[in-house]
Amino acid sequence: MSVHNGNSFRAAAFYDLDGTLVDVNLLHVTAYMLANVAQWKGRIANVAALAMRLPRLYRAERHDRRLLNVAMFGIFKGISRDRLFVLGEEYCDRVLMQHFYSQAVDLVEGNRAAGLEPILVSGSPDFVVAALARRIGVETWAANRLAYSRNLASGRLREPIIAGEEKARWCEEFAARKGLRLRDCWGYADSYYDLPFLTALGHPVAVNPDRRLMATARDRQWPIIRFARIRAAAPAWPLDGES
Amino acid sequence: MAQAERKLKELKTSQLKHDIGARRDLVVTLNTRSQPRLISYGDDFMVAKLPPGTRVVYPPPPLEPLPDPDVAIRYALLHPENADPLFAQLNPNMRVTIAIDDISLPLPPMQRPDLRERMLNIVLRMLADYGVDDVHLVIATSLHRRMTEDEIRRMVGERVFKAYWPDRLYNFDAENRAEVVMLGKTDHGEEVWLSKRAAESDLLIYLNINLVPMDGGHKSVAVGLAPYQSLRHHHNPATLRDSHSYMDPTRSGLHRSADRMGKVVNRNLNVFTIETAINNRMYGGLLDFLHKNEDRFTDWDRARLSGFKWTLGNLSDGLRREMLRRYAAPYGMTGVWAGETEAVHGKALARVFQQYAVPVKGQSDILIVGVPYICPYNVNSIMNPVLVQCTGLGYLFNMYRNKPLVRAGGTLIICHPLRDEFHPEHHPSYVEFFHRCLAETNESTELEKRFEAEFARNPTYLHMYRYGNAYHGVHPFYMWYWGEPGRQHLGRIIAAGCEEPEVAARMGWEAADTLDQAIAMATSELGRSASITYLHLPPLVIADVE
Repeated sequence: MSVHNGNSFRAAAFYDLDGTLVDVNLLHVTAYMLANVAQWKGRIANVAALAMRLPRLYRAERHDRRLLNVAMFGIFKGISRDRLFVLGEEYCDRVLMQHFYSQAVDLVEGNRAAGLEPILVSGSPDFVVAALARRIGVETWAANRLAYSRNLASGRLREPIIAGEEKARWCEEFAARKGLRLRDCWGYADSYYDLPFLTALGHPVAVNPDRRLMATARDRQWPIIRFARIRAAAPAWPLDGES
Repeated sequence: MAQAERKLKELKTSQLKHDIGARRDLVVTLNTRSQPRLISYGDDFMVAKLPPGTRVVYPPPPLEPLPDPDVAIRYALLHPENADPLFAQLNPNMRVTIAIDDISLPLPPMQRPDLRERMLNIVLRMLADYGVDDVHLVIATSLHRRMTEDEIRRMVGERVFKAYWPDRLYNFDAENRAEVVMLGKTDHGEEVWLSKRAAESDLLIYLNINLVPMDGGHKSVAVGLAPYQSLRHHHNPATLRDSHSYMDPTRSGLHRSADRMGKVVNRNLNVFTIETAINNRMYGGLLDFLHKNEDRFTDWDRARLSGFKWTLGNLSDGLRREMLRRYAAPYGMTGVWAGETEAVHGKALARVFQQYAVPVKGQSDILIVGVPYICPYNVNSIMNPVLVQCTGLGYLFNMYRNKPLVRAGGTLIICHPLRDEFHPEHHPSYVEFFHRCLAETNESTELEKRFEAEFARNPTYLHMYRYGNAYHGVHPFYMWYWGEPGRQHLGRIIAAGCEEPEVAARMGWEAADTLDQAIAMATSELGRSASITYLHLPPLVIADVE
């Protein structure tokens, strides 16, 4: 059992990020970064390069989420680590927090109050996930990490690449480290590619599921949650008390 | 004179004629020449030859409906019980809330126009005529699932829906802390919480449909518009064990608690209750043979039964379910009363018993019931095993007054395929309840102590209740507790026609492939002279057991 801010946690709630807690995806993060990383001329070139890669990214997405991550992060090659982390903070404030489902805030805080430690497990880059985790009071997270050479992104990802079965493996290792039982833990994800992650946990929940995950969730009698896409304003965080 | 016969004597001459003429052969003892009996069996029907000597209890025929329901409703509003007429209570500056029974009744859903639509049209017209603008329509779902937009439209009618949805016509949200308020405590220390909108209204009008005697009365407001904080005082194993039966409010711990709470509500609020009673015409047209004694089937009835069985048997599970879901019953309204809650409910109850009560002499060793495809909690959904338990043990076992149809320590045979099937969006917490909690214990008090609070506050289930169409996280516990009087009373429960024996085993039941096998299992212990009663459904019947 772990302790955080006086709360004792009996288990964990693992959350996927893109499409689950926030209504943006990995492509959106990448486009934002590339559009803001350099001077105007460089920005146009970066976005054009991303546009050129879209068919390849689409094929990778259809084939394997891991391949998509590898192809997507290759675009960051040559950008300085410092700049990426600054942009991560900016992206988090200007985009992610505005796109956080307000009902997801209730859920995360409710679970926390019920004794489930919130853990983010996302294929997004670490410079974004770390910034978000700090803002929502999440101590532990897993995200994809770029490899750097002389403080510049090499375009390669460091292992483990958080996608598909790696997500499940990371959760298993985390639970073993913390002495938690996965059968007591909850998992929230939106994509069929998260199936190994969800099946590793005792309480899988499909959130805004895609067509294939929806079919699987119905077949396996998993709870299905839909967060409303319309938000009046950015949600207040954290909430006072339990939901 | 027997109590049940005395009740018949108290009826008026015209009612007596109906009762004596139509109820003469409602309790039938089978012999070797008797026809096989039709037994509800989930999405299908069994046709089974029951042993000679089996007693079959049939529902009374439908009472004649009122010729013009709209006129009857208007009359009730103008001539209320122990209250001023509705129009005399109205003024333009007042705030009015109209609470409406949800989709859990009647079963199956009634043909359009729904009685609630009729009542709403008349009441809303009267409110408009007297200049009352601040009107909200709240569907009294309590911890039931939110009704969908289409379900609400069907229930209230297009005109009301267009005028009020979604700002002034909505489902009650028992988990919205800003929407509930505590009114006080009963003399038993029960907390009485209620919809804030209702509590702050100058007038609360409740529109009810009485399908069975457990509906209506104080239970409508004090349960329908109340959150978990109130419900936990009566939806618990101790209170429900003290109910003999749910269909006899005078002997039901559940109703006594609801009455105490209702009195607190009525002290704080101006409540104007409108209750209706309907007859038991569940199946009409081509399916009216389902109401008949099988020995009196004509060739046409047998042909229709064969066709019906063939159709059900040749449809896929999904299509069969969809076909049954789309069926709407041609119920007729047999009475409507308005005014003060208790006075109104007394009159409605008398009419409901007049429709359902059948005098039956003595208990039997074995009771056979067939669980149909529908119960109050699976409209447009799936009948999962916990709901089968609730329907068989909770509702059908309780279809009695005075004494249960089966003796203490006797055997209940429940006919249902009993599949491990759940609706993940309507019954998400049921899945965990069945696979996790029941795997550890099926003892109600133990379940209450170990798991209830966790489920009641589970954020995922709360989210699905508030924003999706799921029953509240605690609901499967209530369904399990509902079967508590039956579990306490019975010695054995056998699921006949059970397709998945492990499902029966998890609930502490025995499984039999066929009804014959189930009867053989029951009689192997009780002997061949064991008495058997079959409670024939549909439609519904309440046995007045002497």
